Amino acid sequence: MTVAVEHPANRRGARLGAERRFTVALIAPAVIAIFALFGYPLGYAAWLSLHRADETLGPARPYVGLRNYTRLAEDAQFHDALARTAYFSVLTVVLGVAFALGIALLLHQPFRGRTVARVLLLVPWAVPPVVNGIMWHYIYDPNWGVLNAVVRGAGLIQGNVAWLGSQNRALNALVFSELWKLLPFLTLLFLAGLQGIPENLYRAARVDGANVWSRFLHITLPGLRAPIMFALIVQTMWSLKVFDTIYVLTQGGPARGTTTINYFGYLQTFKFLNDGGGAAVAIMVMLLVLIATVVYVALFNAPWRRLRRARAL
Amino acid sequence: MPDQQNASSDLSRRSFLGVGASALGGMLLAGCGGGGDTTAGGGNPTKAPSGGGKTISILDDNTNKIFKQSVIDAFTKKTGIKVARYEQANFNDLHDRLATAFRAQDSTFDVVMTWAAWSAEFGQAGWLEPLPRSEVPADVLPAALDAVSWNGKVYGLPKFASAQTMFYNKTLFRQAGLDPERPPASWDEFASAAAKLTSGDVFGYACDMGNTDGAYQNFIRTLLLNGGSFYGPDDKVTFNSPEGVDALSRLVGLLRTQKVMNPSSLQITNSSDLNTLFAGGQVGIVFNWPFQYAEAIKSGSKLDKRTVGNALIPGIKVRSASIDGSEGFAMNHFAKNKSAALEWLKFVTTPEVQRRMVAEEGWLPVTKSLLEDREVETDLPVVATYREESRFAIKRYGSPWYSKVVDDLSANITKAMLGQMSPKQALDGSAQNATDIISQYQSA
Repeated sequence: MTVAVEHPANRRGARLGAERRFTVALIAPAVIAIFALFGYPLGYAAWLSLHRADETLGPARPYVGLRNYTRLAEDAQFHDALARTAYFSVLTVVLGVAFALGIALLLHQPFRGRTVARVLLLVPWAVPPVVNGIMWHYIYDPNWGVLNAVVRGAGLIQGNVAWLGSQNRALNALVFSELWKLLPFLTLLFLAGLQGIPENLYRAARVDGANVWSRFLHITLPGLRAPIMFALIVQTMWSLKVFDTIYVLTQGGPARGTTTINYFGYLQTFKFLNDGGGAAVAIMVMLLVLIATVVYVALFNAPWRRLRRARAL
Repeated sequence: MPDQQNASSDLSRRSFLGVGASALGGMLLAGCGGGGDTTAGGGNPTKAPSGGGKTISILDDNTNKIFKQSVIDAFTKKTGIKVARYEQANFNDLHDRLATAFRAQDSTFDVVMTWAAWSAEFGQAGWLEPLPRSEVPADVLPAALDAVSWNGKVYGLPKFASAQTMFYNKTLFRQAGLDPERPPASWDEFASAAAKLTSGDVFGYACDMGNTDGAYQNFIRTLLLNGGSFYGPDDKVTFNSPEGVDALSRLVGLLRTQKVMNPSSLQITNSSDLNTLFAGGQVGIVFNWPFQYAEAIKSGSKLDKRTVGNALIPGIKVRSASIDGSEGFAMNHFAKNKSAALEWLKFVTTPEVQRRMVAEEGWLPVTKSLLEDREVETDLPVVATYREESRFAIKRYGSPWYSKVVDDLSANITKAMLGQMSPKQALDGSAQNATDIISQYQSA
């Protein structure tokens, strides 16, 4: 007579398999919902981008292959929009992260009224984006705006300036409004990161004779690696996709001077009813965001991985 | 024991999954059921029972107040048709909202606001319902009817007529040594008056060139004043003719050489902001829509009936010309209550509504009979000027390709205004682009 004895490893394997199936079953509804909500529109956008879809030209949607993409490659307006997007993104990301870090370092110091300062910091973040745009619209108003009143009052200009009346000035005004809106979030992010750095590291560094700059460089910055990476990724995504402020403040003008690629895509789809062209731009924006994210992750992880490898040796 | 534990564990997982699946299924069914109930008949929860046809929904821009105040009640009283929903949206946002709704074949709104460009664009796309000619009142002004028509088809009926005329500040005229009862009658007189009116923060002239439509409007008005035209036969682009280049050069001159145009004109995006500037006494002359008069004599304005001057826009090669800004209502092609919607369209053109449109809102009537009515003229002196202006060219050039052509042209016009391009370079570049765009439509 043979008695079958189950090996303990098999039992463990079966249990693990059951747990895995249970996990998959739990995750499946969310994955299906995400696929339905994101996958379908994404797939439809990709399909549209390969067709001529413009109802003012007729109801037919003939397949045009990559024509919508090659047209973008040849389109000087799209190139200009790309350059503007790069300028806008670099300025908002670099200045945003730098200013937010500075403000976070200040607010991390103990001083009287720190709590009030932290609450006030949140005000721009609490303002809805469209309201933010309208507010800046009034500030930049060439005839009654506060900015002209202040700058003229200070004797810096003779007559009123149309801040949104020329391309470069309008783009810089847009960067400024966007910075005002994004700083609270980034500052909060860094403040949270600063609070996670153990105080004893600073004490030990002081004992070892490290000055303020050395402590910032060797303790604070490495301690904020994760929040900085997150801030860069998120801010780059937001900058590439900026829409609301442009829509309210400048509508892409003057002379397309504030038309970024996302706004360019909006114009194609909603103003010109060119769904195929607009979808191609949307896919390009998505690819740009993906590439930027991958680059950031690679850049930030490379030194970390090198350090771990060195420690392992 | 372990097996029992496993069994129990499996059972609870199975139960959990079973409950979860049931809940999800229930939710999905509930979702389907709910959708069916609320969107039956094409997505309009406010529709009347099928066969009733006595309820409509209207999507309007935010130009007029009288509909909400009392016209809707009067309509219901007269026709028995209930307006279940009347919604107003910002004019600048409405195009995108309508385009999105039409693409989705949405029937939430039976009646939508329209004007020359949208009638052509949405009509060509098959999103507006053409009206039988027999339903168009006989004495509707041709220019107002153009605003709701495209390619021989009428897609709606006008709610008000509109064309720009010249408004000037008589007080500023007097202060500058100009005769307030003798407004400029030619471009040269206008430029000379604007120069005399300009002093400090007060400018002789201002316009709304801060967005795409604004830059286009200000250019075509000057083009028409110079005897030019936007298109020739077969939609051949002619705006870069010598008349066009000269017209744009004159606009550039007002800003850059003569410095009589308020520089904020390149940032002003709508006629309401222009009105505020005029009512605030900061500009001597504007070319604006009829409502300018009613707004300028409101309390809070620095002007009143005695100090607001109104006259023909002074021409360059012709005595005068203007641009049309008439608006109307059209029927959504996907509407379920078309007969009731048509009743609304017709009601808005009746003298009862049109008289209020003139007296309370300062817009022009859509019928010839009311335009000739002296009582209407008493309410709104602009009517007399419009009657005179009607003898000259009043255009808007709405077309299915309007947005595409105007976007490029406006960008180049602004570049010319900023001195980044010569007027000829600007117009020649846009003319080539417009020709390419139009050829796509002609070959489609």
